Amino acid sequence: MFDLLREGLPLFFNFQALLLTALGIVGGLVIGVLPGLGPLMGIVLLLPLAFHLPPIAAMGMLIAIYVGGSAGGSVSSILLRIPGTPLAAATLFDGYPMAQQGRAQDAVGLALTSSALGGLIAGLMLVFFSPLLAQFALRFAPPEYFAMAVLGVLTIALVSEGSALKGLLAGGLGLFLSMIGTDEFTNAYRFTFGDFRLSSGPHLVAVVVGLFALSEIFSQLEAGNYLAKPTVQRLRISFRALRLVMTHKFNLLRSSMIGTFFGAVPGAGGDVSAFISYAAAKRFARADEKYGEGAEGGVVATEAANNGCCGGALIPTLSLGIPGDASTAVLMGALILFGFFPGPDLFRDSPDVAGGIFIAYIMANIMLLVLGIILAPIFGSVLKLRKAWLLPAVLLLSTLGTYSLQNSIFDLWVMLTFGVVGYVLRRAGYPLAPLIIGMILGGIMEANLRRSLLISRDGLGIFFERPICATILAIDLFLLLSIIYSTVRSSRKGAGENEKEDPQIT
Amino acid sequence: MRRFLGMATAMVLLASNAQAEFPERNIENIYPWGPGATMAASQVIADAMGQELGVNISVVSTPGAAGTKAFQTALEKPADGYTIFDGYVAPLVLQPMFGNADWTYEDFKPLWSATSNSFAIVVRKDDDRFPDFPALVKYMTENPGDLRYSPGVTDALPHMVAAKVMQTSDVVAQVVPYPEIDNAIKDLRGSVLDFMVINPGVYASNKDDVRVLAVLSEFEGASGTYGGAPRVQDFGIELGMKGLAPMGWNWWLVRKETPDDVVATLQDAMGKALARDDIHQKLLDMGYVPLGYSPDQYKEIIAPVASDLKSGIDAIAWEKEKLQGTK
Repeated sequence: MFDLLREGLPLFFNFQALLLTALGIVGGLVIGVLPGLGPLMGIVLLLPLAFHLPPIAAMGMLIAIYVGGSAGGSVSSILLRIPGTPLAAATLFDGYPMAQQGRAQDAVGLALTSSALGGLIAGLMLVFFSPLLAQFALRFAPPEYFAMAVLGVLTIALVSEGSALKGLLAGGLGLFLSMIGTDEFTNAYRFTFGDFRLSSGPHLVAVVVGLFALSEIFSQLEAGNYLAKPTVQRLRISFRALRLVMTHKFNLLRSSMIGTFFGAVPGAGGDVSAFISYAAAKRFARADEKYGEGAEGGVVATEAANNGCCGGALIPTLSLGIPGDASTAVLMGALILFGFFPGPDLFRDSPDVAGGIFIAYIMANIMLLVLGIILAPIFGSVLKLRKAWLLPAVLLLSTLGTYSLQNSIFDLWVMLTFGVVGYVLRRAGYPLAPLIIGMILGGIMEANLRRSLLISRDGLGIFFERPICATILAIDLFLLLSIIYSTVRSSRKGAGENEKEDPQIT
Repeated sequence: MRRFLGMATAMVLLASNAQAEFPERNIENIYPWGPGATMAASQVIADAMGQELGVNISVVSTPGAAGTKAFQTALEKPADGYTIFDGYVAPLVLQPMFGNADWTYEDFKPLWSATSNSFAIVVRKDDDRFPDFPALVKYMTENPGDLRYSPGVTDALPHMVAAKVMQTSDVVAQVVPYPEIDNAIKDLRGSVLDFMVINPGVYASNKDDVRVLAVLSEFEGASGTYGGAPRVQDFGIELGMKGLAPMGWNWWLVRKETPDDVVATLQDAMGKALARDDIHQKLLDMGYVPLGYSPDQYKEIIAPVASDLKSGIDAIAWEKEKLQGTK
């Protein structure tokens, strides 16, 4: 593997490639911060420019946008309670309460630093364990995906503790939303009411922006105080975030590994890795860490996982020629346009390019670390704005971001509808994140259950004969039983307590 | 005075509009599938054509409903030449035949045909059950419904061609749909599927791990795309589908109402882009064969494809019935 890196060094270490990678990180962060626009959109937007550049400089820029875009979504989650991308929906659990407690810069710094370090850990895995992880990913087939999706759905009960039932109901609504569109097995339309714009269901990003951003705007409007000057932590460039993150090193390592794993398994739904690592961090947390009320560990867990996912998703893309997610599919397309076919051929025939891409990914994360520290105070200063200025700006950006997904007015209606749904759910004390988990996982769960049954020709044995699947299903069962046990136990403690919900966990 | 000024301004605006040359801004190509190697082929043409026109042509992936969502989306846009349909055979011909869309190929004005890609049946490289295509057919004859295969999405062209080949040989295997063909190839390599129907882009990324048993095209050049593998006809099996019918191809189109001068500009730019040697070679290197059919040949080429595809639709119905019988 060191040979690859040595071969790639001269291709990457030149002024143009370094500059474009740095610009890619800044551009990615900005795109990630804007509600609606995510890393995928950033890569697609810059693709035409990339083709006029040398391959490694271009790939460095695109990978940097991927890395920066995946991290940038956390900033608006923390500051405004609006996840810039679905990836960052779990970051607001603790990031937003931290900002509300006047620790906006700490939270943003922690998020960007954890993202960078999570990405670097994934980068090391990419360099040293690519072949191993790629082989493991090949053993993940429809039965395993189904079992993993069930695990993801069960985490709903964990991330919405205190209102598990309401969380599961919101998750159920998400599962229903995932059914809208074309059934991929029969090509029949479901719940589209004859409208082609629903033929692939409501757009996930339009739903996320509506549910979180619009409902937040409605709530803020209701709260009044438009001209009040917010109190914000004194903002300046400091390495404090790096010190803070080091107090959570085990959490950081675990979450990065979870992220890398979910990224490396194509089609597993990397967005969910943040929720799962959050649930894991919460389970293993010290008693004095109050998750959902501004625990630093919560921000570390979600951000390390979702950027770990980027490195993870590059593993099957480069080693197998099988993209880990939609963004890496576009990156793979770009690489093909440069005349390099990902897969074992790439490592054998063009080790310099493969090495150059590895270095580009690692350098992108190092630059994210540096730029994250420098830019955190600038991002944090957004909170100094009075509501009268901030709310219209957020509305404008949400609308622009959502419209640009597919240049579709219909997506704006979807956003508005879910803005109202989000507001009503929040007023009724329902957590919103489970709805997103359900919507992402519903399609994966259903398709892989049906695909498994087609492969086994209706035999259930396929779920138990495969060791990895059987193990995950055993964990599912254990988790389910423990959720039922704790729910029954808490309901015995008193019906009144059970109704209490945590307003931060939404 | 004010009225005069208003009229003068309006006249200047009108005159400048009339003089404005197409294109004044960027053009969109609405591509009907998810991102990947095939989208990259469209991007190559879009870039070259954009250079001819002096504007950027972006390829916008709009997957959904077997390609018809992209067509519906493009139909909603004005007929001004700024939206190009990446007219793949599925949304253009096939889905209307299934009754899932209400247009025909005659509802569009053609630019040039873009590329074609032939399909091939592949197995894992180390799968010694099937040394060649006849061995696969023999296994399916002896064990009806026992093997699992994926053509990617079902009811699309690769599925039709595979069903047609099986119908001709009177054998059947369990079809497993995968909307993303990359996940299907992963499961083939992970021994969950027994064989697959793939396109050149997927083959190029996986050629070390798969073995081509038969290329599903009557064109001799198609073998070259798959490393010289034999064509299905070489085993005495007739596809029953001729010319472009058993292949994936795309023809770039605009709405029928688009002004003729705008269409002519686009046709000219696309023709020049496709005639460039570097573009031709780049597409071939990616496994996509430039078709070179001009706008004038549109009807003559597409009309017979539509009638040939009918036999493919019948083959899918035959496969469903036959599979039921093996349960």
